[in-house]
This record gives sequence, structure tokens and C-alpha cells, in this order.
Amino acid sequence: MLLSVLQTGAVSSASGSAYAEFGNTKVIVSVFGPRESKKAMVYSDVGRLNCNVSYTNFASPTLGQGTDHKEYSSMLHKALEGVIMMETFPKTTVDVFALVLESGGSDLSVLISCASLALADAGIMMYDLITAVSVSCIGKSLMIDPVTEEEGCEDGSFMMTCMPSRYEITQLTITGEWTTPNINEAMQLCLDASSKLGEIMRDCLKQSASASDE
Amino acid sequence: MGLSLGEQHFIKGGIAQDLRTDGRKRLTYRPIYVETGVIPQANGSARVRIGGTDVIASVKAEIGRPSSLQPDKGKVAVFIDCSPTAEPTFGGRGGEELSSELALALQRCLLGGKSGAGLQSSIHVLVPGAGINLSSLLIKEGKVCWDLYIDGLVISSDGNLLDALGAAIKAALTNTAIPKVNVSAEVADDEQPEIDISDEEYLQFDTSSVPVIVTLTKVGTHYIVDATAEEESQMSSAVSISVNRTGHICGLTKRSGSGLDPSVILDMISVAKHVTETLMSKLDSEISAAEACEDES
Repeated sequence: MLLSVLQTGAVSSASGSAYAEFGNTKVIVSVFGPRESKKAMVYSDVGRLNCNVSYTNFASPTLGQGTDHKEYSSMLHKALEGVIMMETFPKTTVDVFALVLESGGSDLSVLISCASLALADAGIMMYDLITAVSVSCIGKSLMIDPVTEEEGCEDGSFMMTCMPSRYEITQLTITGEWTTPNINEAMQLCLDASSKLGEIMRDCLKQSASASDE
Repeated sequence: MGLSLGEQHFIKGGIAQDLRTDGRKRLTYRPIYVETGVIPQANGSARVRIGGTDVIASVKAEIGRPSSLQPDKGKVAVFIDCSPTAEPTFGGRGGEELSSELALALQRCLLGGKSGAGLQSSIHVLVPGAGINLSSLLIKEGKVCWDLYIDGLVISSDGNLLDALGAAIKAALTNTAIPKVNVSAEVADDEQPEIDISDEEYLQFDTSSVPVIVTLTKVGTHYIVDATAEEESQMSSAVSISVNRTGHICGLTKRSGSGLDPSVILDMISVAKHVTETLMSKLDSEISAAEACEDES
């Protein structure tokens, strides 16, 4: 898919935010925090992370009710909790709110990459930027970043979230039937794409940092 | 889980030396006990005990309409409930997060792909080649199909819930008998056909392609299979891999924890395949023994 837009500072009222357009998939993520944990009466010396993913009514081609996507929320949470340094904001909570404006395929990967950009924009300390890439297997061929139509007829999907600089995988989900050579190939594809995406994200952050200096 | 520093070192040290606290080797499972037909009203059910972990799975089949996206296939939904008898914290909303995580992982392994965003996430469409053959649930294309509701209940939790649930669902599906349905009358395209559900004749579900799930827990630099709750508290991360009879990976979920090097994941996949061979044959023999027991009684 074509990476058209990647920018930070989309929402001025949030601590940090990012907007991404990958082909037809448009996602906006805003990060609030670290701010006071309302629920936590118990002292905890690590911070808390709260993720929420929701779809707008007009996001998918068929009119769906814009609901909170619990599945994606928990997957985003798992992807981010391995990379944020929770010890740096004890007793407080970081809230990550993601909104999918238009769903054109590979939604979760775009969400995760955009969320890590928003967290970096908010100044939350992380071990590394995380990038997420998904690969679809149709018959014998693998395709990276599938669009909705390709996802509809896929035989298997492979979504990987990794830290490009540390060369570590923080989340991996595979569905469908895969042979080991296919998995190897898909993993290599994802790692290569992740490092490229990581560089693009870094450039974007550098640009916005130098723009705010002026 | 409250463990003292000494206990933590003991667990980690033991795993490093291939001798766990209960005497097992790293890649050995605890004894697995399977009982089938534990819930008479359900179409199929099974209870699986792996060490201290006790789970029950039940399968109920109801007549429903196939979805318009896949008119030639039936539908399956998986729900998991963590009972407060296992852990007091599971009462009320407490176990909800764990239940949905387990249900998601099981759906992924048994059914393959998910439906697209915006659709109800509890009913999923099939990806060919994955565990359950949904075409066998069809009665009349586009009109009538079987809806399978698979429910898992965690009664006692001592680690390795996902593997136990996977085994229980596999056993419950083997035990499932779907009544034979005769479509009585031929009707026009837009009307619902009349169906006659037979009381005597049953069809056994074909479970030869249902995969087993193996969870590999990484503690220090080694992996263990079938972790107890104590060992799980010391893990750095865990990967659950579902492998079917032909040795293909049907699903993989990396559970929360720290990041893993890609070579570690590939290594885990080959270890999982190796472990699956023994686990699958053990499970098959246990299930057929349980079915034979049930037939006699």
C-alpha cells in the first residue's frame, strides 16, 4: 500500500498525536498523559496504559455502527506495553485513543505504527519506536499490506509488530494454515518493511521537531 | 502470585538445568485426563484436566442462517468463561480480559481468519485449511446451516489454560453428534425451507484436522511447555502455536511480555512442531479411551 501521509501534532489539545494514511486506511491517534489515574486507589510503582480503538460510522464500506473495537484495543495494548517504559510514570496513566476514519485494510498494523508515533510525539519514554506490518497469504503468494479486498480472500494472515533498532518482535499473530518456509519468508518481508517504516517515522519526528524549533 | 526471591531463583535455576520444580523436563507435559460426554444436554462436551488446571468445553448446535458473505458455510462461535472458583479475582468483570484473550486466541487457531472490521466479532468466517470444516455444517446453501456455539469454562487454573482449552474443545468436537436434517419440501428461493430434524440419526463431527495448541513459555533463555501458574509468573514472554496433523502452523499468538528475537520465534516454532507430535498422539489416545468409556456406560 502507498504511504501517503504521516504527520504528528494533528490534535493540538492532546499531549501527542499522529495521523496516518496508508492507501485508503486513515487513522488518527491521540495520546493523553501521563495524567492522574482515577481508578487506581492502589499505589503502583509502574504506570498504567489504557488503549481504546474505535471506528467511525463511515469507516467501512457497509454502514456499521461506530463501536469500540475491543479486540483491537487489547491487541494495541499488548503491542505497546512491551515497549513503553512504564517505570517512568508511576501512579499515573497514559491514555491512547485511536480512531479509524476509513478502513481500507491492514487496519491494526497502521493503528500500531501510528500509536507509537503519537507516543513519541507526546514524549512518553519508550525503548524504541514500534512498527507493525501485516502480510497476507493467498494461495502460494505472499503480499505485504493487504487492502480490504485482498484480506477478504486471504488464506492466512501474519501480523508482526517489531522494534526496528533492537531487532525484536513484540507481537506476532498468525492465522490460517502456514508452512514453516512461508513463515520464514513472511518474517523476513516484515522485518525489512519494518526497518524502512521505522526510518520514515524517525524522519517525520525529526521534521516536526525542527519545525517547532523555528 | 506471591513468590519469595529464593523461590523465584529456584524456579529459574531449575528450568535452566532441565529439572523443573515438579521433576518434569522442560518439554514434558503434566498427565492429561480427558472425560467426554460430561454434559448430557449439549451436543458434545469434554472435561480436561492437566495437572491442577481443569476446564470443561461444550458444543451446542442450533439451526441458523448462513451469513450473506459465505452462504455455503456454517458458523462457529467460541466463548470462554473464567469461573470465580478458579480465582476470586475472576468474579464479576475481573476475568473478562483473560476470557476475551483466550477466546480470541482459540478462535484464531480453530477457525483461521477473522471477519472484517465493523462486523460482529463473535461470529467468524472460515479461512480454508483451518481446523473446523464449516462446509460440513451446511444444510441448504444460503438458507439453513448449523451454528455451533463452543463454550469453555475454566474451573481451576494452574497455568497453561490455553492448551487445556484447546484440548477440551478438540475432545468436545470429537464427542459432538449433530442430528441429521432432512429438508422436507422444495420451496421458492426467498422462503425458508421446512426442515425435519431427526431424533435418531446422528452424524459424528470430523475432527481429524482440528489442531492442538502448544504454549511455549520463555523463562530466562530456555523454553518450557505446560507451565504451572508459578512458572508463568516468572516468564519473560510466551508464544502459543497451534499445529495440525500435517505439521502446518494453523495459528500463532505471541502473548504479552518483552520482545523476542525473530530467530527465537522460528526456533520456538520448530520446538512446538516437535512437541505437537507427542501431544497429538497422547491426546488422541486419551480422547478415544474416554469415548470408549462413555460408550460402555
